[in-house]
Amino acid sequence: MDAIVTRGLGKVFKEIGKPKVRSLDSLDLTIRKHEVFGFLGRNGAGKTTTIKILCSLLKPTAGEAFAFGENVRTRRARRLIGYLPEQPYFYEYLTPRETLDFYGQLQGLGPAERAREWDKLSEMLDLRDIAAQRIKGFSKGMRQRVGFAVALVGDPPLLILDEPMSGLDPIGRRNIRELILRMRDENKTLFFSSHVLADVEQVCDRVGILVKGRLVRQGRIDELLGKKTAGVEVVATGLDTSAVAALKATCESHRALDELERFTFADPEAGNRAARMVLEQGGKLVELNPLRETLEDYFMREQRPDERTGVMS
Amino acid sequence: MNRILAVAKNTFREAVRDKVLYVLLFLAAVSIFGSKALGWISIGQDIKIVKDISLASTSIFGVLVAIFIGTSLVYKEIDKRTLYTIISQPMHRWEFLLGKYLGLMGILAVVTVVMTGVSAAYVLLLGGSLEPIYFLAVLLIFWKLLLITAFSLLLSSLTSPILGAIIVFFVYLFGHATGVFLDLPPQFHGTFAEKVLKVAYYAIPNLGNFDLRAEAANGVAVSGVYVAWVLAYGLAYTAVLLLLAALAFEEKDV
Ligand SMILES: Nc1ncnc2c1ncn2[C@@H]1O[C@H](COP(=O)(O)OP(=O)(O)OP(=O)(O)O)[C@@H](O)[C@H]1O
Ligand SMILES: [Mg+2]
Repeated sequence: MDAIVTRGLGKVFKEIGKPKVRSLDSLDLTIRKHEVFGFLGRNGAGKTTTIKILCSLLKPTAGEAFAFGENVRTRRARRLIGYLPEQPYFYEYLTPRETLDFYGQLQGLGPAERAREWDKLSEMLDLRDIAAQRIKGFSKGMRQRVGFAVALVGDPPLLILDEPMSGLDPIGRRNIRELILRMRDENKTLFFSSHVLADVEQVCDRVGILVKGRLVRQGRIDELLGKKTAGVEVVATGLDTSAVAALKATCESHRALDELERFTFADPEAGNRAARMVLEQGGKLVELNPLRETLEDYFMREQRPDERTGVMS
Repeated sequence: MNRILAVAKNTFREAVRDKVLYVLLFLAAVSIFGSKALGWISIGQDIKIVKDISLASTSIFGVLVAIFIGTSLVYKEIDKRTLYTIISQPMHRWEFLLGKYLGLMGILAVVTVVMTGVSAAYVLLLGGSLEPIYFLAVLLIFWKLLLITAFSLLLSSLTSPILGAIIVFFVYLFGHATGVFLDLPPQFHGTFAEKVLKVAYYAIPNLGNFDLRAEAANGVAVSGVYVAWVLAYGLAYTAVLLLLAALAFEEKDV
């Protein structure tokens, strides 16, 4: 049984006096059990819309979605899903401990179970020190930790996280990354959206790329990027100016930094020839690096030309 | 049931921290104690007037709390996005709604009891006596609040607090004067407006039914049948409004 299946999922927002917005268009997705799936797309691509449909906040205008075979509109499906919203908001006047207790009650857990959940989650997310403070004064990182804990209450097998790392500092991002990996080791299925490619690259088994509400590609990262290298970088030192000029004539790009000369070649063969030339000219070969295409390059390539403008971050 | 109570408890807690509540309670206290001043004007009538005005302020301030807090009950949770992690829990949406309703009714019960306690003590202090009809009048005021709160909740799941509050307020005003919808001047006979007003007459609850102020002030008893009928009328109306609120909320995009 797959963890998430969507068939022809679509959402059109209609509001009186405003033009219709098609946020999602016939989305077909299959997320297998125990998979870590990265859901990529630029601002406004429809990631949050998809996630809100999966968590039954929005009603799709077309198609259906299932979590472990249960329609996501049912209570049984919601029992299987832990959800972390884009910017989690909780009752400001409650403390983390009261908050987790509240969500435990909503899940129908008894007092003993709720106490056990608190012990486990407060340890995992480092909430002990702030257990008795009101959420009101919390920083983004503290809120995100509470949000993650709330998503984990009741130990759901599927976690749906909407941009779990956005707005966090490097340590915060790393902590979330480690949590994701830890959840993967606990055999949970993870579905998370992001527009930060590096985060996705490091933890995901598979990714899907959403452009203007349509899924343009899904697959394993290495399949999408291909095994082939995108070129070679030759780093050399001890070359005289004529040798540098000769190499510059054949390379794609050149950069000189301190004592080092860096040449990149799209064709690996050209890179080999350049390396031989460096040695022949009495230079020293410092590094020979294969250049792999990054997810970011891929992402840029997949966007239609009219959408390349605008900054990806 | 636990889920509903958990939501109710939180709603109660939040409302207790709402400044609006204390402003309204303060105004209610001022009007209760101020009622004595009116009593001086009409010598010998002061106890009657204090009773009358206390009941009126219990009713008015209860209604204001129901409207001001009630119409923002659901809207605020959508607006502040606290709803996201709640609606995605394995609970029914109507359970959430009912929890919000019960939480606010809890607040209103406390408000009613406090205001009644204060006015009763004041009446006794002035040397008056309290008949059972006085407390029956308070019960019917509370019953009216059940209805007004359910209506506010319905609007809270449909529209913004300001628009909701205006609508509830007008329905409240018309609800005290539903007779005017039937008692029309002759030029209305047979017109479309007459039909609309007739529908309004049956749709808008007759809030005058809940008003026992005159009887309470004068210590006149009312029949048990009447009271039972009004209680049933209020409950039926409230149930329908809560059902509509649940239906409106069930499919809503948040
Ligand atoms: N309630 C709504 N009413 C109307 N349009 C909406 C609504 N919610 C989202 N949209 C529109 O749907 C589109 C997709 O939005 P969505 O929030 O799903 O994007 P996203 O991929 O999550 O973007 P981001 O990276 O900025 O979070 C946007 O064009 C947005 O304006
Ligand atoms: Mg989003």
